Amino acid sequence: MKVDRRFLLRGTCQGALAVMGMPFLDCFLDSKGTALAATGRPLPTRFNTFFFGLGLTKQLWIPKTGGKDYEMTGQLKPLEPYRSKLNVFSGLRVPLDDNPNYQHWSGAAAAATGISPTKQSEFDSKTIDQQIADVISHGTRFKSVSASAAGDPKQSYSSLGGANALPAEASPLSLYTRLFGPGFQDPTKGDWKPDPQAMIQQSVLSAVAENRKRVMQNLGAADKARMEQYFTSVREAELQMIAQQQRPEIQAKVTIPDAPGEMVCNNALPNLRAATPLMARLGALALATDQTRVFNLSVSEPGSQIFMPGDSLGYHQSTHEEPIDPVLGFQPRVAQYNVDTMELFAMLLKELDAVPEGDGTVLDHSLVYAFTDQSFAKIHAVDGLPIFVAGGASGRMKSGFHVAGDSSPVSRVGFTIQKAMGVSLDVWGKGSMEIRQPYTDLLA
Amino acid sequence: MRNFAVSLLSLTVLASVAAVASAEAAASSQVASLRRLTQQEYRNSIADIFGKEIEVRGAFEPTIRIGGLQAASTAVLSVTPVGFESFTNMADSIAVQVTGEKYRAKLPCAPKSAKAPDDACAAQVLGKYGRLLFRRPLTSDEVRNAVKLSNGLAKSSNDFYAGLRYGLASLIQAPDFIFRMETATQAGDKQYALEPYSRATRLSYLMWNTTPDEELLQAAQKGELNTAAGLSKQVDRLMASPRLESGMRAFFNDMFELDTFDTVSKDSILYPKWSSSIAASAKEETLRTAIDLSLHANGDMRDLMTTRKTFLNRALAADYQLPFAFKSEWMPYEFAADSGRSGVLTQVSMLSMFSHPGRSSPTKRGVALMDIFLCEPTPAPPANVDFSVVNDVNGSLKTVRERLMAHATNSTCASCHTHSDPIGLSLEGFDTIGGRRTTENGKLIDVSAAIQGKKFSGAEGLGKFLHDSPKYTSCVARKVYAYGRGENSEDVPASAFKAGYKAFADSGFRLRSLLKGLVEDKDFFSASPPEPTSTATKVASQ
Repeated sequence: MKVDRRFLLRGTCQGALAVMGMPFLDCFLDSKGTALAATGRPLPTRFNTFFFGLGLTKQLWIPKTGGKDYEMTGQLKPLEPYRSKLNVFSGLRVPLDDNPNYQHWSGAAAAATGISPTKQSEFDSKTIDQQIADVISHGTRFKSVSASAAGDPKQSYSSLGGANALPAEASPLSLYTRLFGPGFQDPTKGDWKPDPQAMIQQSVLSAVAENRKRVMQNLGAADKARMEQYFTSVREAELQMIAQQQRPEIQAKVTIPDAPGEMVCNNALPNLRAATPLMARLGALALATDQTRVFNLSVSEPGSQIFMPGDSLGYHQSTHEEPIDPVLGFQPRVAQYNVDTMELFAMLLKELDAVPEGDGTVLDHSLVYAFTDQSFAKIHAVDGLPIFVAGGASGRMKSGFHVAGDSSPVSRVGFTIQKAMGVSLDVWGKGSMEIRQPYTDLLA
Repeated sequence: MRNFAVSLLSLTVLASVAAVASAEAAASSQVASLRRLTQQEYRNSIADIFGKEIEVRGAFEPTIRIGGLQAASTAVLSVTPVGFESFTNMADSIAVQVTGEKYRAKLPCAPKSAKAPDDACAAQVLGKYGRLLFRRPLTSDEVRNAVKLSNGLAKSSNDFYAGLRYGLASLIQAPDFIFRMETATQAGDKQYALEPYSRATRLSYLMWNTTPDEELLQAAQKGELNTAAGLSKQVDRLMASPRLESGMRAFFNDMFELDTFDTVSKDSILYPKWSSSIAASAKEETLRTAIDLSLHANGDMRDLMTTRKTFLNRALAADYQLPFAFKSEWMPYEFAADSGRSGVLTQVSMLSMFSHPGRSSPTKRGVALMDIFLCEPTPAPPANVDFSVVNDVNGSLKTVRERLMAHATNSTCASCHTHSDPIGLSLEGFDTIGGRRTTENGKLIDVSAAIQGKKFSGAEGLGKFLHDSPKYTSCVARKVYAYGRGENSEDVPASAFKAGYKAFADSGFRLRSLLKGLVEDKDFFSASPPEPTSTATKVASQ
């Protein structure tokens, strides 16, 4: 008889209950989950991604020298306040091997998975945030949370692979409601107690999961994988209910604000400037209250459709159609949009750094991976993709460096991040992006 | 509470063993297609099963477009944890309403005592709604499991209805509801065909965009959908109903890509007139035009490309700059003969969806319309192209046409631009929000174009070209077929919808004839034979 993992879990659970009288919920935690029961443990290290479309302008963003004492460049100015907590990576290669250069996709997918994609708009594996969430998110209410400041649930670069992108919350209000609406119990308050509803809902989910054996019969291979995904999602909902039984251990002193109002979220830059800090703030609070340990924020799609009202071209069209200024040697309007997106990135760093906890801030106990789709959008170039990693990963990542073009594949950054996040792996990426050597100098 | 949960766990372990046994017995049929319900299908189904008073509040996962249709992606996408979180919350919220005091009188039975489990009554309620939700009768195991869940929770809370709530919620979030699971059995040598309940499901969602009604379920149960006469009777009934409108609205919404409007933004400085209410109205205008022509007037679908008849509300009249008196919210309107308008092609919807926020885009329009109306997708442009000349409005090339032509002298670019640009260029007489214009940057706009050697001018010329093109009518047939079966329209061979197309053409391109021809053809319920797989169910590691 074939016994699946769920069945074993139950069997063990009942045995444990009968013999040891172990608390009901604890028996659902696997070996890594035992950390949850401990008290006084260190704060968990959190992971964030920040996605911005269309890259930057080479002449204007790459610092002239590598190492710690680089001179800050014009396009990175908005990041100046976080310089000591930031690593800047230039000159990274994105070898696509035998796959086509899917415009506004290959670069983003390579950065997110270490794999040159074989399809437009699909990732060939789980994205890095999900690979990390698999390891660090045990016991939190949400395995990960994504938000789109431009108001499009499809602008999520967090994926389970293939076409299964995890939809983004598309307004500050919907992000707030998911995080701090029904089902949320404020761990900063003294009167926290487990909600009996969560335990009942868990038994309903358990009953739903019982359909698995029956439903998995008679399915073709592709449909079987889809159905497996459905049941994985059911399982995650169960884990969420279990997590809600346990008071999160937090060190931050924060107050959950009232719900934000409705607002227009779209590609117009003034609206993005309003939505981005609100979403970043909510993400920071979610991390501080341990509702999730993985927060993804995007400000545009690849091939960013951001526009400044009055500019009939907008960002993406400008990258292709604005002539290169013969004197300046770059596209001036594009360069302005580049800086605009760096300002949006700085808004996320600002909010993460504004929440004190333990011996530092949420940013100090996090890593933020910022990536994009193109290095030179005009010609859809991917080599030299601008990449940033911010935060100290609770002391496991050194920061303040410009890691200047050493021709490493972009996957080396992703690999280093996972090392710092405590993911146990020896190799990451595929083909020419397969990497075994992290930036050891950056790892503490 | 803890004791209760423990006993529940032991029950579910036993139940899973029983489920394995029953599933093995039913192994002869094969799941031919697994389609995630769309937002509208879910909402309509819940309204039809429980009544319109039941509120459905929650977010649905976005879909993607494959072969020009979102419908095809429902057969490819799964349910992510974020999506399921929403499904489980909605299921519970629906179950709370259905078991609430206000609704109870509508349930098929009342418990002996409201404070204790009543398995007989629970089985009756869950069996009734389960059949409607799963679009087939529940197996005895399925009823037993849901009753067991209700019983345990009714006992622990001393409340029959509280228990029933959870039993019902478990059905509303089950894969059998969230997915349209179409099963097929062998029907001759190497041939598989849908089982009766799956036929009912496919018909109902195509025609009415909702779950099969009682009569259709009964026809399935009696095997009538497997006979030509029985099928024909039900098809005629579905088509005679006003509910055909919901079904065809959903189809047109998908085919015309009107969901694009959800993310369209316009430049508020260059086009201050634009508002989100115009976007919603424009979508409605196009749907009303298509439904009125194809169903109310039983008109020729080719006329959708040329008609000047439309429907307006106040917001649209302002956008079109028409002085107009309104007796009701929506009024029929016919554009003047010299308006330059031509069918849905020149409605605000098509013109504004496929434009930039601050300017029109012949390329975007051309690419979209080729795909939507001619089923001819345009390949992605090469990665390294210099488009600067297209934009330099300060140079010698004043109009988009001049700039595009300069760009298209590059031979790699030309192959695609000669394909899609003519359509877009002929629509240049309309700006990014659909307003009429005659000049660009001070120069008169030339709206002449040629496709495959046929010369025409302006939107009216384009409308006439599409009206007369057999590619357009064939594309409509292809898309209805792919939409109904959840397939990539680009992979559908023309032979698959041959019978439907013939009925369509013979009737002078009436939509009802196309529908009837397609669904009554033997191919419509056919399925590919299962791929050879090992019998053991593979358990993927999570």
